[in-house]
Amino acid sequence: MDAASHLGVVVDLSPTHWYLSSTRTQHNARPLSLKSFLSHLLVFLNSHIACKDENTLAVFGVLPGRSIMLYSSTSESSGNPLDKADANTYRPFKVLDATVMRTIAEHVENLGPSDLEIPGELVGALTKSLCHINRITTTSSAHANGQTASIDPRILILSVSPDQSLSYIPIMNSIFSAQKLRVTIDVCKVYGSESVFLQQAAHLTGGSYLHIDRADALLQYLTMSFLPPPGIRQLLSVPTQDKIDFRAACFCHKRIVDIGFVCSVCLSIFCQPVPVCSTCRTKFPIKTLQRLNAARPAVTTPTAAATPYIRSPASLPSSNAIKVGAVNGSQAAARNGLR
Amino acid sequence: MPSVNLNADPITDSEWSPHILLAFLQSQSQTALTRLYHKPSSCLSVFRLLRPLERQLIMNLLWLESTIPMSTMSAWVTQEGKKPYDDSLSTLARLHIIPKSTTKLALNATFRTSLRQAITGGGTTGSFGVPAEPDPQHPPPDIATLDAYALERWETILHYMVSSGTGQHPTKPSQEVLFLLQRSGLMTKTRGGVLQITSSGFQFLLHDPHAQLWELLLQFLHMAEERQMDLVEALSFLLMLSTMELGLAFATENLSPTQNAMLADLRNYGLIWQYDASARQFSPTRLATTLTSSSPPLPTSRNTGAGSHDQGFIVLETNYRLYAYTDNPLQIAVLNLFVTLKARFPNLVVGAITRESVKKALANGITADQIISYLTTYAHPQMRKNKPLLPVTVQDQIRLWELEKNRVKSQEGYLYTAFASQQDYEYVLDYAKKLDVVLWENPTKRCFFGSLDGHANIRGFIERRTAEKA
Repeated sequence: MDAASHLGVVVDLSPTHWYLSSTRTQHNARPLSLKSFLSHLLVFLNSHIACKDENTLAVFGVLPGRSIMLYSSTSESSGNPLDKADANTYRPFKVLDATVMRTIAEHVENLGPSDLEIPGELVGALTKSLCHINRITTTSSAHANGQTASIDPRILILSVSPDQSLSYIPIMNSIFSAQKLRVTIDVCKVYGSESVFLQQAAHLTGGSYLHIDRADALLQYLTMSFLPPPGIRQLLSVPTQDKIDFRAACFCHKRIVDIGFVCSVCLSIFCQPVPVCSTCRTKFPIKTLQRLNAARPAVTTPTAAATPYIRSPASLPSSNAIKVGAVNGSQAAARNGLR
Repeated sequence: MPSVNLNADPITDSEWSPHILLAFLQSQSQTALTRLYHKPSSCLSVFRLLRPLERQLIMNLLWLESTIPMSTMSAWVTQEGKKPYDDSLSTLARLHIIPKSTTKLALNATFRTSLRQAITGGGTTGSFGVPAEPDPQHPPPDIATLDAYALERWETILHYMVSSGTGQHPTKPSQEVLFLLQRSGLMTKTRGGVLQITSSGFQFLLHDPHAQLWELLLQFLHMAEERQMDLVEALSFLLMLSTMELGLAFATENLSPTQNAMLADLRNYGLIWQYDASARQFSPTRLATTLTSSSPPLPTSRNTGAGSHDQGFIVLETNYRLYAYTDNPLQIAVLNLFVTLKARFPNLVVGAITRESVKKALANGITADQIISYLTTYAHPQMRKNKPLLPVTVQDQIRLWELEKNRVKSQEGYLYTAFASQQDYEYVLDYAKKLDVVLWENPTKRCFFGSLDGHANIRGFIERRTAEKA
């Protein structure tokens, strides 16, 4: 028997970026409005439920400053008067669509003008989704004693807003929780520039990252790349990334850095040499600091491509400058954040 | 010796045997299937019975307006996915979902329209069941009542089967059910006019409820053909039931005459609940709503603790002792088929698997693999910690006992003797060997034994030869 699978969907509902996405500009030849996006999304969600009766679904919305659960197939309110049975529609689809649309409408109504500036709470939604998966995996394994516990969980992030460097550490922590739970994170960038952090999230959890070129064919993208459960993906050529941006954000200014300085004790990342590590309070010799400062490249703004650049560690304890463009770099940073 | 591996990897998982209904659908004509695909609910249910890769293929094509070249699609599967992909295409072609073609791929237009409609909703087909107007006098039963009803009906049937040979007299299921059991060869009438379970009936008992249900329903569909019922109507009604919501009542007015006639039968099997035979609404039970899913079709067994059906209750030790935590008479009766029961407690049965008990089961036509798979399916959660799940000694011994029985194999055929000369004998034998029908030969006695299907040829050959000689 093929196993049921769980899909957690994190939908970016940032009003500012949806406005940008729906307006036709020189760079945005095929505008996609939130409304048509949602109709594509609902069909995709229905397809997931259609594939198997036991498939479960949870949808989370990312709003300015907060995150909300839009729908969960496990906590279904059956006695809802709005969901009167209809002879022409499969009832679970109807309940799903109605609930998602209603919750989105409720929350979007409540948005005020002040909310436009606040960045979306992506991390909150991602964390809630992981907690939700954790709950269903633990309860289902307790219930069935491991025999049907393989629900093959995965998360799909539909993002329109750019990275916020402030959320680097929490995102990395979420990635590591996902790895621990064996959750695959798929990322679909519907609008906007490539997201460094989400690329890493997809790469580190074995998911796929897709930047949509033609927004009008969104449904076909979603169906072909994100509908197959991880179980059968080895049979299919699902899109993978050939280029991944592994840059990390520094712990001091939350800036994405090309070259960082890593504390040799706790592996915290800094954009400039510091006398005392802010995480573990290790003091570095003044000599090392001077040497590192002298060796820093003249340009302070990070440039995109840099050749591998590893400074040989002189003496310990010192802060070793490394190119934070390697897997090690980002993992080290996240391990640090986990404490 | 193969042992049952529960934690099969995903690749073999996706190669699980296709659903029993699909084989039936494949035997139907293209026109019948196209008629079936007119209903969105039927499309959705058939879609769910397919394997994951087949479902994904359909999904890929569902929203495309034009056909796509074969080469484009095959670029989408990886090297190791090639074989499953080809298998999927041929299955879908046999179901007439993706017409067979060497150059282009596209969904059957009817199927595409209906599945799109099923997923997006809307339309006016009413194929997901018209909900009944609330009837204040007879409110629809709650889920617990429905479950109890379905379980009672289903266990009555099984219990009747299992105890038919033992001289007990449990409640009889209705006449139609008995007829169906007889027609499907699960039970047969003995000389005294009493129904007696057959060997395939014993095998039936060891299947899981889902398979049992479909086996009976398929038999029902075969009978429907003979009863001049419209097969497509019957089939689409079953598939419609599987998409209905448990605990809701649906109106009977929109059903076709065939489907109205089916209500009585389905009530007998416990698939639907009706206030009385003339009621204008019906409620599907869990047996019906889980037809196309793999969740357990029966609720927890009565009298036993929660979840005994899906959790299992059997503990088997290496010393052939078996403990079954159940007080369900049906489960005990089934165990009694191949276990020597020693003691019974309020919630526990103790027994042992012995040579005699297994031989008895084998004589009834049950195979060793069926016993092992039954024990695996209903193993107690504590047993699931073992690897392999069942003690290897016991598994092997059960299989050895089966081999013991199979020492002598019989085969029908003809013995050719009294050849006039050695040359004649060798000439005919050569011919028979070419046909690959020789089962045994003895050159010194100039005779050989050929299988039944080769007889006509050999006989003709000999006749021709004698005619040539004369």
